Amino acid sequence: MNINQLIIRNLKKNLKNYFLYVFALVFSVALYFAFVTLQYDPAMTEAKGTIKGAAAVRTASILLVAIVSIFLLYANNIFIKRRSKEIGLFQLIGMTKGRIFRILSAENFILYFGSLVIGIFLGFSVSRLILMILFKITGVDAVASLHFSSEALVQTMIVFIVIYLFIILMNYLFIKRQSILALFRVISSTEGKVKKLSMFQNFIGILGLVLIATGYYVSSKLFGGDFTTMPALFAAMTGILGSVIIGTYLFYKGSVSFIFQLIRKRKDGYLSINEVMSLSSIMFRMKSNAMLLTIITTVSALAIGLLSLCYISYYSVDKTAQNNVAADFAFITEGDATTFETALDNAGIDFHEKRIEVIQVSANLKPILERNLEGMMVDPANMPMSVISDRSVKNVDAAPGETIFTGYSDLLQKFMTLKDSGTIEFKGLHQVIPLKYSGLEKEFVISWYYTAGGSPTAIVDDPVFQRLKQDLDPKVQQKSSLFIGINLKNEQQLEKANKIFSSLHFSSEHGNDSRLDLIKEQKKNMGLAMFIVGFLGLTFLITSGCILYFKQMGESEEEKPNYTILRKLGFTQGNLLRGIQGKQLFSFGIPLAVGLAHGYFAVQSGWFLFGAEVWTPMLVVMLLYAALYSIFGVLSVSYYKKVINEAL
Amino acid sequence: MTILEASKIYKSYGNKWNKQDVLKGLDLSIEKGEFVSIMGASGSGKTTLLNVLSSIDKASNGSIKIEGNEITQMKEKQLAEFRKHHLGFIFQEYNLLDTLTVKENILLPLSITKMPKKEADQKFAEVAEELGIYELKDKYPNEISGGQKQRTSAARAFIHEPSIIFADEPTGALDSKSASDLLNKLSGLNQRRNATIVMVTHDPVAASFSSRVIFIKDGQIYTQLNKGEQPRQAFFQDIMKTQAVLGGVQYEH
Repeated sequence: MNINQLIIRNLKKNLKNYFLYVFALVFSVALYFAFVTLQYDPAMTEAKGTIKGAAAVRTASILLVAIVSIFLLYANNIFIKRRSKEIGLFQLIGMTKGRIFRILSAENFILYFGSLVIGIFLGFSVSRLILMILFKITGVDAVASLHFSSEALVQTMIVFIVIYLFIILMNYLFIKRQSILALFRVISSTEGKVKKLSMFQNFIGILGLVLIATGYYVSSKLFGGDFTTMPALFAAMTGILGSVIIGTYLFYKGSVSFIFQLIRKRKDGYLSINEVMSLSSIMFRMKSNAMLLTIITTVSALAIGLLSLCYISYYSVDKTAQNNVAADFAFITEGDATTFETALDNAGIDFHEKRIEVIQVSANLKPILERNLEGMMVDPANMPMSVISDRSVKNVDAAPGETIFTGYSDLLQKFMTLKDSGTIEFKGLHQVIPLKYSGLEKEFVISWYYTAGGSPTAIVDDPVFQRLKQDLDPKVQQKSSLFIGINLKNEQQLEKANKIFSSLHFSSEHGNDSRLDLIKEQKKNMGLAMFIVGFLGLTFLITSGCILYFKQMGESEEEKPNYTILRKLGFTQGNLLRGIQGKQLFSFGIPLAVGLAHGYFAVQSGWFLFGAEVWTPMLVVMLLYAALYSIFGVLSVSYYKKVINEAL
Repeated sequence: MTILEASKIYKSYGNKWNKQDVLKGLDLSIEKGEFVSIMGASGSGKTTLLNVLSSIDKASNGSIKIEGNEITQMKEKQLAEFRKHHLGFIFQEYNLLDTLTVKENILLPLSITKMPKKEADQKFAEVAEELGIYELKDKYPNEISGGQKQRTSAARAFIHEPSIIFADEPTGALDSKSASDLLNKLSGLNQRRNATIVMVTHDPVAASFSSRVIFIKDGQIYTQLNKGEQPRQAFFQDIMKTQAVLGGVQYEH
């Protein structure tokens, strides 16, 4: 048998083992190529919109390279270790290290570049689909065409050839450093020896849990008003990040063993088969993989958090727009409104008009604030505030001497929490009118021009409003004191009306807004962000899933003798498989659960900065992530099934 | 009472064209409470015989009855169920799970049968005391010696009071001191608990602890020796002589 035959045979035999590695390789090439194709696609110019968008896409492609190359190098590392026995054997029969290296390289070359070609082909075929998805979520109205870009091909080739060279280099170093003896022993030395848990480890375990809990606790207080200055806020964020990441590491290093140990202690030696297969095995293995699991968990949490936040913004675009622009079209000058209304009349579009007089007063809100706002750049005793008459608003009736607030954003509510009731003062130029504050309504009745994006509007009884109007303080007044909202009677004509609005070129003027334009603009920005984060998240998900799967493959081979014993003792394959399912529930479930929990607290601490709706988008993202992730768990169970079958 | 009865067992490996017969119509019967050794040269088929008798491997032909149950016709699930209640195993490489403590390892067979915990604890205490490993109960296998591991393995085989215990070269990896220590314990258990033990070995010293030795050659029973009332040393001499005839190689002692 000559060397070539040896290579071919090895390849054939290993292809089965390498199945998922090849799959992952093909997949990462395909993703990367598709992404780069998009980057060079002329139709993308519109979706990217601004220079910022283009920069985001470029950064994303660099991150993609980073994820993919770390993954490939790691996977290669796992696989070469698995073959150390074979390498040792070759050396034992007198092959030089150089020769072994050449055999491995040749084998790798075929595997790698075969996958590369398939991956590029696949990436090319899905690039149109991906482009269509992108256009769909950004709301860009363009035709996605199949477009082969040679620049993308060259870029992909260069990136993956460089990664290949790194892999080769790693293999070279691996072979060079090993002696025959070490090669035979490599697996046993990487997995930690089974020992009793020391006090120190128990301490580490408890510390890990405490650190994570502290991080969570502080994160829930982050925007609750305890940290009011910028440096304090920043320090708190860094603290949370540090304590959660270190906590996660210690959690894997010690807490898991610690908790499992407690459970085992309670059993006093009498373990069921499920506990034998899951608890006792994971207890010792999770420790040696602590670093890897920490990285996977942290990045998972990051991906889940970012995706949730992006989706929250995207999901709340409509609602945010409603809060900012309180009608289909909003105007603040009589003239512009009339021009637009005439144009609508000419086009035969029916509409309602809503006029609200808005005045500004300086308000003393101190009595109803939950906390004083030290460190913020506003004086609660002298807050500028928009006031309207209750005659302008339907369904709201303010009693004389009373005021109702309406339209308060979730964000501001976090920083300036209002009490349920109290007495406040509106200051005119000469007189001060005390009013009883009696509650908060959700609805926004006037646009952001008056509300500055979220501060509430006060509704007062009409006579009070007239008194305030007579006594205006010119210093706090806005240029305009009139809000004109135009709502179409038939929403289907919105698109048409919007065209008229654009053709009249109002938008340069502040306060003249089309809600539809705002929605479109926001969707484009948020859609692109979501697409990029989603793409990166998916790549990461698949690569990390693969790595956990590879680890499980290795573990299953190592534990094969145990399965033999257990089957000889009379456990059926079904018994063992149930045990394995339990084990995989932990092996994959613990990192997933921790990642989800981290993501959850990250989202909860700051979602209101991004949008108006939290639960639906966050749950959608989390469920999707968990579902995709569990595919790898299921795959690994089926691999175990095979091993168990062969065990007797 | 006959506990194991095997008749006309054939076992061959390979396919139709390239067939290798390992067991060729072997008959065997073991009484309750016997301690039987199976000896023979490498490749004579003794380990195959043990595997077939213990239902781990399937016989190509023939019938095997353990306590009246015909095991050659059983399905995989039934076999597992059967092994659970009727068989115990001791192996050369101890075959303990390294992630479990000594006590957890020993209690494994009971956890399948879902025995109440209190009863299980009591049984554990009994068997562990008898084998002198009770103090090691919270240690992990890699913290104890080979002899202790093998005694743990033996405790695991005895704890659920199986009909038969199969031992495959139990002393193979032990030094002579630990080996005779283990064999003393085994024959003690054999007498006190009236447990049936079938042991494969190539070591005449180990075999001399048993009450009957079966010699296998080329897949068939060559001869049998009964200990009877004679002392162990005399029995050992008999075994040596038979082995010399069987293999043609003098065993030096």
